[in-house]
Amino acid sequence: MQPETEIIRPILAPGTRYRWDKVRRQHQLVFPEGVLVLNESGAAIVQAFNGRTIEEIIAVLSAQYEDKVQGADARAFLRRLADRRLICDSAAVHPA
Amino acid sequence: MVEAPRPYSLLAELTYRCPLKCPYCSNPLKLRLDRKELETAVWKRVLAEAADLGVVQVHFSGGEPLLRQDLAELVAAARGLDLYTHLITSALGAGDDQLARLRDAGLDALQISLQDSRASQNDWLAGAASFEEKRRMIAASRRLDFPVTLNVVLHRHNIERIDETIDLAVEWDVDRLELAHVQYTGWAFRNRAALLPTREQVARAAEVVALARERAGMRPEILHVLPDYFQEFPKACLNGWGRMFLTVAPDGAVLPCQSAREIAGLEFPFVEDASLSDIWFRAPVFQRFRGTGWMPEPCRSCERREIDFGGCRCQAYLLTGAAAATDPVCRLSPDHSLIERALVESAVQPAQIEFRMYQ
Repeated sequence: MQPETEIIRPILAPGTRYRWDKVRRQHQLVFPEGVLVLNESGAAIVQAFNGRTIEEIIAVLSAQYEDKVQGADARAFLRRLADRRLICDSAAVHPA
Repeated sequence: MVEAPRPYSLLAELTYRCPLKCPYCSNPLKLRLDRKELETAVWKRVLAEAADLGVVQVHFSGGEPLLRQDLAELVAAARGLDLYTHLITSALGAGDDQLARLRDAGLDALQISLQDSRASQNDWLAGAASFEEKRRMIAASRRLDFPVTLNVVLHRHNIERIDETIDLAVEWDVDRLELAHVQYTGWAFRNRAALLPTREQVARAAEVVALARERAGMRPEILHVLPDYFQEFPKACLNGWGRMFLTVAPDGAVLPCQSAREIAGLEFPFVEDASLSDIWFRAPVFQRFRGTGWMPEPCRSCERREIDFGGCRCQAYLLTGAAAATDPVCRLSPDHSLIERALVESAVQPAQIEFRMYQ
């Protein structure tokens, strides 16, 4: 297996979209073949992307949620999204 | 009674018309409709009702959906309702300008079919010169930053070239390669004896895919949908009848599954007659195989009854004549010998292919 490209500044992969499901009242990531339901902290992490690095995202959320977002949990969550190819590094889509 | 779960996906079959003649098409054998195709305004109402019902994704399909002049308008309507929009296409007949219009309309992703990794074989199976146009459309989609899934349906005539197919997906730089074995309903059931691969071919294909995943790494992602005829247990068809999916056919018939029209004796409501929500929650045809109450033995007491939901209703009907029977693919089915016999027969008696035709 080739080494995965390391993600520094996560963005949603092309074809992946965040949406709030009004009917079910849940956060979702939607991609061509499915839907992933996000909990509140997962949704907060995804909504904090905005071109930030993973470290910056964790810092922003820690300030916002008074340390309720643990860095290790956030990193594990992002790794799971990357394994499912729902996120990638911003440079992978729009190379500088 | 517990209220039924809400559907996540709508398969919007805009038309049964198609420039291709694939002999494993999932459309019904009877392609000529007694009613006209739905008009744009009706489709827009259907999309709005789908969003209210809880649908998250719309798969615009056909036939060939690019033949509908209002495709971009319908995509824009779906995006306006915050639905995820996915186009399932042969890529035939689309100009670069139509792709750009779809991009502007907010189309989220594209799935493009390929019949074979070799142009001559591809064009023979598709019944139309199409390989070069597919290559061109995929390149155009990449330039527009569309995420592209290349979908290749596998059967006896192309399974030996699975490694070439993977190489092509890498060369064409698609995001995802879906290698999906034929599902033997519709036209594929009619052509089963000509399409079924051998057990050895299936095993070798699995090895090639495993090696290719190592080689290709993260791109493209390779999905390999295994052929249920060679499995021990049936596929969890639709993840359960009337549970996550619904289909609206070109004439407005609302179906639990795109193949369900093959099952004699089922009556399908039309979008003109009731709202999608009424149909989903109340139409008898959606209740018919919902949940586990309808199941016969051996499904009824099986610990897998909520894993595979008894398998595929259309397949059970086509093989046994009884839509409520356990899917014969299951090794526990009393009709399992039908599968074994089909595999043996197709191996010793290669049949002629009958291409998809309006009839």
